[in-house]
Amino acid sequence: MTATVAPTSAGISPGARRRTPRLAVGLIVTAGALVVLVGLSLAVGTKYVPLPDVWNALFAPGDTYADAVVASRIPRTILGLLVGAALAVAGGVMQGLTRNPLADPGLFGVNTGAAAAIVTATALGVGAGTSVWIALPGAFIAVVIVYLIGSGRGRSTPVRLVLAGVVVSSVLAAYIQAVSLTLPRVFDAYRFWAVGSLAGRNPQLIVDILPFVILGLVLALSLCGSLNALALGDDTARALGAHVGRTRILGAIATTLLCAAATAAVGPISFVGLAVPHIVRSITGADHRWLLPYCVVAGPALLIAADIIGRVIVSPAELMVGVITAFVGGPILLLAVRRMRAAA
Amino acid sequence: MSATATASIASPKRPPVLRLGGWLSLPVRARSLVLGGILVVAILATGLATLTLGKLGIAPSNLLPTLLGQGEGRDEIVLTAFRGPRLVVGIAAGAALAVSGALFQTVTRNPLGSPDVIGLTSGASAGAAAFGLMWPGILPLPVGALVGAFVAMALVYVGTGTGFSSPSRMLLIGIGVSAMSLAFVQWVLVRAGREQATVLATYLNGSLAARDWDHAATIWTAIVVLIPSALLLSRRLQLVEMGDEQADALGARSTSARALSILVAIGLATAAVSVAGPVSFIALVAPQIARRLSRSAGPNILASALMGAFLLSLADLLTQQLPFDVTLPVGVLTAILGGIYLGYLLIAQWRKGTI
Repeated sequence: MTATVAPTSAGISPGARRRTPRLAVGLIVTAGALVVLVGLSLAVGTKYVPLPDVWNALFAPGDTYADAVVASRIPRTILGLLVGAALAVAGGVMQGLTRNPLADPGLFGVNTGAAAAIVTATALGVGAGTSVWIALPGAFIAVVIVYLIGSGRGRSTPVRLVLAGVVVSSVLAAYIQAVSLTLPRVFDAYRFWAVGSLAGRNPQLIVDILPFVILGLVLALSLCGSLNALALGDDTARALGAHVGRTRILGAIATTLLCAAATAAVGPISFVGLAVPHIVRSITGADHRWLLPYCVVAGPALLIAADIIGRVIVSPAELMVGVITAFVGGPILLLAVRRMRAAA
Repeated sequence: MSATATASIASPKRPPVLRLGGWLSLPVRARSLVLGGILVVAILATGLATLTLGKLGIAPSNLLPTLLGQGEGRDEIVLTAFRGPRLVVGIAAGAALAVSGALFQTVTRNPLGSPDVIGLTSGASAGAAAFGLMWPGILPLPVGALVGAFVAMALVYVGTGTGFSSPSRMLLIGIGVSAMSLAFVQWVLVRAGREQATVLATYLNGSLAARDWDHAATIWTAIVVLIPSALLLSRRLQLVEMGDEQADALGARSTSARALSILVAIGLATAAVSVAGPVSFIALVAPQIARRLSRSAGPNILASALMGAFLLSLADLLTQQLPFDVTLPVGVLTAILGGIYLGYLLIAQWRKGTI
């Protein structure tokens, strides 16, 4: 009797095993949707290129006008893939680490911290443009300040951390405004970047942030099992053999890497890290071994979809992707708050 | 030991009361009077500095003739077109925001329940953007801002599931509502093809640059109508602070007092936003400082109004005179200073365990 019930590997119950095929199919379907969105992202815009032409432009490029248009949309699409995955996974890890349904790199001030560091560096003339190396310390300092304010004396509750994040990000956002409005040079460079935009970024950025994103993703995905244990509470996690302290530190490193890279590339984008894990959790449940891989696929899908919407609704102008994600993310924050029962 | 304590409770110093017929009675405390006097002087000094300092400033010797309408052409223009309206709008907008904050903070019984923290000001600016730029001509801009503010407050009220009773939920929902409102404003701005930095800065940060006498008329009308209403409500609100049951037992009719106060507060904040944009944190900070300085219970309407007027005109004076190439929108300055204060307030609140 016990032999049949005893799980073969850590923590998989028979019920979970029955769900595995369904979740695997779901992941493939989501990936398929992402591929379609990538195709649309290359096709849709001020100049519409039909999908067959996109295919030609990608695999048999000539020098037609359509080919040039598609080529110009490739960098922003790749950025969308990288940044979407980075932010969604960072949000998922943060929500797991802090056992906080409201965790989001944007709400916690991490993205604004990175942005403030980059604006400062540009204003002082240090460093070339939006370097990840400049964003990293900014993101890190913001995380530390938010945790200090949010957990000073006593337990850090979800609400405290969000409020601390709001304080830090509103002060830093005002600082960014002040610097960029007083220095026209900075203003020109960061007018769109400061809201979060995939458009008009230097393709070199993709190469710059790629190692950081990959490192962060690998680190985050390696923590899946420990995050599951952590969800049961620190004491139980320890009893199950998880290294609580080490998981926290590695998780913080992973989220900082991911957020700094994403912000350096496209500016501070909020709500992707909040919304995607919430949507995904309604499919996968709380198991991080499914949650985080889904985030890797669903994050880019949401961000690229938001980018496409931004190109369509004010055509021929463009709306920054950060604006769209805020509009999608606001209601999801409402739902998340309503679901919190005793916490508030 | 205990005898002295009972004695001091038994003979409280009763302040003299200002009575107008049977319907208005306000206690007059010496401390509040002194505070009010100091603030009025401070506002006058700030106003004087606003008019006289800087490249365009009116020379102090010319100021009085100019104010009396006998100045030179250049001074006349500076007074009537540049600095004058700006100062008048700034004072009134500061007062309106502060009273709105005082009412909200009293109703929610929490300093964090301010219109700028819970998304009212962003909602108003979304309304102003919608009816000012997207569908111009349907509604006057202040009315449009009012619509936006009501929609935002309705969202917050419904979104929390517990009405206005849980401050932390209100804050969280307010964050979402402000994010959506600001996203909407940005959408309208991009759609309208107005990407000039100044327009953006006004709508997103709050600014007093380039105000005219129409703006002044709007905000002063709101003040003249709504601040006396707030004063009438303030005695009942003071009772509501003790809890609904006690307040009702004393005849304060807590539910209607609260609803009326929120209406008045929304009106005041909206009027301020429609002339100055969502200037952040004046509504949060001014009533708090006023309350601390006057050391009295209740919403402290007049002290808050004066404090708000002083803070906003001072912040605007600073933005005008700071040695930058470009003048900052005043909202950026208030956001930095007020944000730091909000952090302090949060830490203080969870030391006490209120959140």
